[in-house]
Amino acid sequence: MTQAPVLKVENLQTRFKSVQRDKYVHAVDDVSIELYPGEIVGLVGESGCGKSTLGRTIVGLEKASSGRVLLDGVDLSALSGAALRDSRRALQYVFQDPYSSLNDRQTVGETIDEALVIAGTRSPEERNRRTKELLDQVGLASAVSDRHTRELSGGQRQRVAIARSLAVNPRVLICDEPVSALDLSIRAQVMNLFLRLQKDLGVACLFIAHDLALVRQAASRVYVMYLGKIVEHGPSQELYDHPSHPYSQMLLASAPEVDPRIEKNRRGPLMIGEVPSPTNPPSGCRFRTRCPLAVDDCAKALPPSRVLSPGHTAACTFAGDLHRGKRSALLQQEVSAA
Amino acid sequence: MHDEPLLNVSNLTVNLLTAKSALRPVDDVSYSVRQGECLAIVGESGSGKTVMNFAPLGLMPTGVTTMLSGSVKLEGRELIGLPEAEIQKLRGKSVGFIFQDPMSALNPVRRIGRQIAEMAELHLDMTPSAAEARALELVKLVGISDPMARLRQYPHELSGGLRQRIVIAIALAGEPKLLIADEPTTALDVTVQAQILRLLKDVQRRLNMAMVLITHDMGVVAGAADNIVVMYAARAAECGPVDKVLVSPRHPYTRGLINAIPRREDPIGSEFRGLPGIPPTLGAPIKGCALQPRCELAVPACGNSRPPLVRSDDSAVLVACPVVNQGKAAA
Repeated sequence: MTQAPVLKVENLQTRFKSVQRDKYVHAVDDVSIELYPGEIVGLVGESGCGKSTLGRTIVGLEKASSGRVLLDGVDLSALSGAALRDSRRALQYVFQDPYSSLNDRQTVGETIDEALVIAGTRSPEERNRRTKELLDQVGLASAVSDRHTRELSGGQRQRVAIARSLAVNPRVLICDEPVSALDLSIRAQVMNLFLRLQKDLGVACLFIAHDLALVRQAASRVYVMYLGKIVEHGPSQELYDHPSHPYSQMLLASAPEVDPRIEKNRRGPLMIGEVPSPTNPPSGCRFRTRCPLAVDDCAKALPPSRVLSPGHTAACTFAGDLHRGKRSALLQQEVSAA
Repeated sequence: MHDEPLLNVSNLTVNLLTAKSALRPVDDVSYSVRQGECLAIVGESGSGKTVMNFAPLGLMPTGVTTMLSGSVKLEGRELIGLPEAEIQKLRGKSVGFIFQDPMSALNPVRRIGRQIAEMAELHLDMTPSAAEARALELVKLVGISDPMARLRQYPHELSGGLRQRIVIAIALAGEPKLLIADEPTTALDVTVQAQILRLLKDVQRRLNMAMVLITHDMGVVAGAADNIVVMYAARAAECGPVDKVLVSPRHPYTRGLINAIPRREDPIGSEFRGLPGIPPTLGAPIKGCALQPRCELAVPACGNSRPPLVRSDDSAVLVACPVVNQGKAAA
């Protein structure tokens, strides 16, 4: 892509003080990602791997301990006061649960109007016009404007939440599991809304989700995160066809199949155990404790990121072999509990 | 195996009366589960799938008056109309429960071992020491490594997957004949979900229990269940063997749900398939077919009367859609 990235995250680190003295939880550890204008990018990983913390740090809901977040080339950590507020406006967050992210006592109109007031739209007529326009953009009739958000269904609420974040003309939306609280038959509608917004408004979107199939279809590129680090990154099709980090391979293979004929014959590669504590992450490669391919060297140093094809990188010693299909993290697994 | 199913639910209707409103979350639903069989009950939130299983066993929030009609027979014994004291004896003994969120299902201030042993003491009249031994056995059964150490731990010291294994161990402690698992993997990661599902399937087979798996996720059904009931707006839309219903769904709602799951062949950036509209809100029973406003096959007659659940062209599959059933020959 020849364009400059709209959002650039450089070596970002977010750590929290642990309950144990002098210990830190490295929720996000040296993460660099890029988002180009009008692009949907997926961020996947198990819970506790730091994907939400990464999203929250980008928008400033958590404080980064080191690293930079650049919006249109401007370092947000260098800004303060009004300049920071102005820049932040371009960066909006859509939360997972539309039941807790909206104020039940406000009407839909008030919810969106408030965002417009904060954005500095003075004239009430203008705000009214804009509210209608935003509701239309997210596929809600302007009649819902007078209804309380508590009267709406989950899908409608999430549309209101999206309209609210669009009110300030953001350039980047960070969507944290925006459809996982919604019913199955509603999800597609909200996903299509994201696709349309990206096309019509050119908003870039970091799509944080655990549903891999959903991410594949929506995102042009995908980052795979494990214990605070990006372990693999690449164009969706390439990454899903040739996952080259053992973690990505096992994550993709864990997704259940709907067709019982396939599901029953599947020699299930099961991921061993669960994510270790980020307070004491394993030395070297963080995935080594669960990795079927791990060798002694994996404990010594963090494996460097290898470029496998244009735009496709994976941080594993065996990434080259895995990418060419010479080795696989699958098929050699035994069922084993943590 | 007996001819009589272990759990036989027929024409179950549940009415809920709260201070403000009257609801019918379950409307004339029938199904059965045999020993050693797993039945999946699939539906969206508000479709009645949880209430249907919990109401007959007295697991309803306080402040709600529950009115049941129809029949729920467990090992030939009618549960509807049974006094609460009798039902209490069944809960945890004949029927084991697994809930969605393992953290809130466990007591945070008691050790794991005690929580499992308590069940064995209560339901199997075991001495505390015998119950502790049984707890150890159960923890091994659910595939937990270093079982002795785990028994001394508290729930907060364990990961989500381990906690769910403990909840399963507790459910098994009373040697139940029927296991009701309500969204057992929804709070878990996809990687852990696969492990827990396999464990559930494994213990169900080994102990030859009947299992009811309540879920909103079609993905977890295929690997675990033998039969499936698809619920929509308090009613059963389609039911039959998993091999048939998931492979060639007949009811427009089942078709829509399965069709809505993204597939690998779908081009990147392409539209997501789904059902139009939104599910009806719970309230008064709907006169016609509840899916009518969202259904592509709907004809005006669909609004007139509730479509009966009848045999489709495949006699093992029941479908509540007159339009589909009319075109039996074509399907």
